[in-house]
Amino acid sequence: MNRQHYVFPKWSNMLLPTLIAVSTVVPLYVVLLAAYGFSPKATDVGYQPEQPIPFSHAVHAGQLGMDCRYCHNTVEVAAKAAIPPTQTCMNCHEKIKKDSDQLQLLHETYQRGESIPWVRVHDLPDYVYFHHAAHISRGVGCVSCHGRVDQMEVVYQHEPLSMAWCLNCHRNPEPHLRPLGEITNLAYDPMVELTADERHQLRKLHSIDPSQDCSTCHR
Amino acid sequence: MIPRIFIYITLILIAAALLPPAITAYMRTSKKPQPRIHFIQDMDNQGKFRTQHENPLFDDNRAMRPPVDGAVMRGEIVDSEHLTSGTLNGTWATSFPSQITVNREFLQRGRERFDIYCQSCHGLAGYGDGIVDQVARDLLVNSRLGKGTSWVPPRNLHELTIHQQVVGEIFNTISVGKNNMPALESQITVEDRWAIVAWVRALQRSQNAELTDIPESDRDNLETVNLIPSNNEEEEADEE
Repeated sequence: MNRQHYVFPKWSNMLLPTLIAVSTVVPLYVVLLAAYGFSPKATDVGYQPEQPIPFSHAVHAGQLGMDCRYCHNTVEVAAKAAIPPTQTCMNCHEKIKKDSDQLQLLHETYQRGESIPWVRVHDLPDYVYFHHAAHISRGVGCVSCHGRVDQMEVVYQHEPLSMAWCLNCHRNPEPHLRPLGEITNLAYDPMVELTADERHQLRKLHSIDPSQDCSTCHR
Repeated sequence: MIPRIFIYITLILIAAALLPPAITAYMRTSKKPQPRIHFIQDMDNQGKFRTQHENPLFDDNRAMRPPVDGAVMRGEIVDSEHLTSGTLNGTWATSFPSQITVNREFLQRGRERFDIYCQSCHGLAGYGDGIVDQVARDLLVNSRLGKGTSWVPPRNLHELTIHQQVVGEIFNTISVGKNNMPALESQITVEDRWAIVAWVRALQRSQNAELTDIPESDRDNLETVNLIPSNNEEEEADEE
């Protein structure tokens, strides 16, 4: 009777198939989770820092319909679409809502000649040199990388801005090309407004042959 | 029969394995104010300073240093009073400077720049009825929302006094501002300011045009788009 204690129980036959199942499922799980969770779509998209002044793009660019370039006026000639100097805000807010609590920091920093400590939303790695003007002047609109900023109360990162994402467009730019007059029109969708042939014509018009060399973006 | 304890451990492990994908799914769909998570830093953040970066070594935290008083940028001084200030020997210039050619392309540029920098207040056609003016008027009436708003309405560019202004004076107003209007010389280049002047002239002309201003070959087109109401009325009368 007691001898039975020294025999493996019957369920121990399950150990080998279980081990095989675990050793296939676990690595698969780890790989898929890493691809899903460490992707910039998970880590970077949706970054929406709180800003020192609750500036609303939805009001200024949306409701008031101001052109992006009224404030970001370096975008057509420079690499960076600069955050405007406080003077640009004061063009209007010297008069409009000048006693508002929300604008207190604006007036204080303006009088002291200091910068407003805006928090940067779209921040590429320091070894990437993106050039705004190069894209704007060839018909890649603001919305392609920044999303519908005219509908954002607080700006957030809408696209992954990863290298794979950049290359996607560099390999096949045509779906993102628009006439230069629609560059800052965030509601314009070239896939709706233009035929494939028209987009191809735009590509030819601006001789667009996006480089995929390392040194194009990395220096 | 498998001991209960193994079954419980398996169930707990499966439940625990579902947690990371759930957290990831939440991260993918939500907006978050915390800084991004970079698992691999590489050289994402380097010690160098680029455009509009912060440098804590300076009092004002600006890595880009403001120019020393009296410093002059290359190309900033163009030795032409006419081009840069719109005056000739102390009086407003009545013509465009010689460096500028007014052609169709230049007018289009002016139109584009007007629509960026001017139309918010002056309106697309220049009647002084831009959306900022409308909002400011509402704020003036509504003191609860207005919060100290004061407002001098933008000028209607079709008023006689502005019609009579020569191009140099309009250029000067864009550059240094007037009353409520801010100086825009830091935002708009010299050439673009002249382009806007040209477009303002075009708007003024268009809103005061006579039928004889239109080339004869184009007059038929004008009538077919029903800009002349009397024709319409006649047609309707005929149908009746």
